[in-house]
Amino acid sequence: MFMRKIYKNKLGLAGFIVILAFAMLALAAPWVSTHDPLKADVMNWKAPPSMDHFFGTDEYGRDIFSRVIHGTRISMYISFLSVLIATFFGVSIGAISGFYGGWIDNIIMRFMDAVMSFPAILLAIGIMAVMGGSIYNVTIALGFVYIPRFARIIRGSALSLRQKEFVEASLALGSSDFTIIFRHILPNCMAPLIVQITLSLAYAILAETGLSFLGLGAPPPAPSWGNILSDARNLMLDAPWMTVFPGIAITMCVLGFNLLGDALRDILDPRLK
Amino acid sequence: MLNYSIRRLLYFIPTLFIVAFMVFFLVRLIPGDPIQVMLGDGANPETIAAVREKMGLDRPLPIQFGIWLGSVVKGDFGTSIQTNRPVLQSIRERFPVTITLTTLALLFSLLLSIPTGMLAAVYRNTGKDYFFMLLTILGVSAPVFWLGLLSLLVFSVKLGWFPSIGFVPIWEDFWTGLTYLILPAVTLALHMAAVVARMTRSSMLEVLRLEYITHARAKGLGEGKVLIKHALKNAFGPTLTTIGIQYGQLLGGAVITESVFSLPGLGRYVMVSIHARDYPAVQGCILFMALIYVVINLVVDLMYTYFDPRIEYN
Repeated sequence: MFMRKIYKNKLGLAGFIVILAFAMLALAAPWVSTHDPLKADVMNWKAPPSMDHFFGTDEYGRDIFSRVIHGTRISMYISFLSVLIATFFGVSIGAISGFYGGWIDNIIMRFMDAVMSFPAILLAIGIMAVMGGSIYNVTIALGFVYIPRFARIIRGSALSLRQKEFVEASLALGSSDFTIIFRHILPNCMAPLIVQITLSLAYAILAETGLSFLGLGAPPPAPSWGNILSDARNLMLDAPWMTVFPGIAITMCVLGFNLLGDALRDILDPRLK
Repeated sequence: MLNYSIRRLLYFIPTLFIVAFMVFFLVRLIPGDPIQVMLGDGANPETIAAVREKMGLDRPLPIQFGIWLGSVVKGDFGTSIQTNRPVLQSIRERFPVTITLTTLALLFSLLLSIPTGMLAAVYRNTGKDYFFMLLTILGVSAPVFWLGLLSLLVFSVKLGWFPSIGFVPIWEDFWTGLTYLILPAVTLALHMAAVVARMTRSSMLEVLRLEYITHARAKGLGEGKVLIKHALKNAFGPTLTTIGIQYGQLLGGAVITESVFSLPGLGRYVMVSIHARDYPAVQGCILFMALIYVVINLVVDLMYTYFDPRIEYN
């Protein structure tokens, strides 16, 4: 039933296929890429796109196509893991805050408000500046920055759900708080949660590539999309293909998540349409 | 309305306090000895001890926070390690560039987004609507720095319409200054324009269904008047909130855009300070930008009561 609705929503289906394609590229990167993404080839530096180098080469003769393919791996890894972190902590914090209410809720939500008082990318920049650039640190920084979005959604639902009769009935039957949160509250928040996860994946990719473009992501020579574009900036006249292709890859990938997210929202939560 | 405003102002205080605490704590996350990291490996122990004492880092954390907060309230954002000048002074020099850039971007994005969102809502589910919505979803998907690089590539490098490097402040020579700002501002505006257009479309759709719109039309009001005076005003609340939130994205995006276009604003200053490990400067800038963002959202929330007076009952 659910899959049929996705199938009927053509844009959502297109988004899903795009994401699937990028995920498969990420997994199969070593087999799909035509060259070693790190191997310099000075004889072929700044070569324009050709049959041998689909997307051309950079100033060291590294193959841009292979670097973009391997960049998929880095972006997918960071975005999925950071959103996983944000979901886990956001859901736990939100559920505790909404379920217990009172001063616990007040303190937790003030902290969440404070985190959201920073422009997300600025906070991530600050954290990265302090911790230093690495794939691991980007994942943690983005995971942290996105926690409040999840906490807010779950808290809102938990607050209203705990007043409902079925929760009271469950309490009266002696269920533990933990059981109630997992059995009754979380399943009822799934719709907005799934939409938020999908859209956060899109944000995470944009943020990750942005950080890496600023030199705060995976350190060079790692073939992240942001790093390739950062290299491209100084070669705009000589090698415009370095600017064009990685950007198309990022836009396509983010577009996939956005299309799927929009479709899921229309299907799961018609009120928000 | 007054009641709500006062309550909103009171909420503002703990938020500010926690924001300040987070910025303070951020620098304490530096792995290893922050002073050693800032001064480099070659620094001798006496200098390190002197700087540590000067920055008060030899005292317990809560006291450090108290002292730091006290000086921030008095307008002392610390001293830059690189230039040995007060951080606030550098911020004051660079902030005008950033505020001009973001204001111009805000202007461009509103000019693009509100008419687009309204038109899409009026022509819902037609070719025009689909076309606009396709543009907006592309707009939210393309990274700002890539759009910046592309526009540099096309409009500066290939076509030569705009200068690609350098900067003239708009308050020294308005027209020349503008040529340096148009590309970055449009680049920065596109993402926000897309988000606001989508929000305007959906809140317009919600309002256009209501009976008072039918009534206004039945009264014989012109369609333009119905759309702008009756529909847009009521649909503007959610859009306004989105604009407030998006302004933060503009401030964050300015860090990236200023780096792409080499503009001497606050964002560029943050990046230069980060690469120089000038932590007091980084701390000061981040605190400053967060404060601006908090204040803007406060103003937006207060303005909301004008567009949606019902808010006072909640």
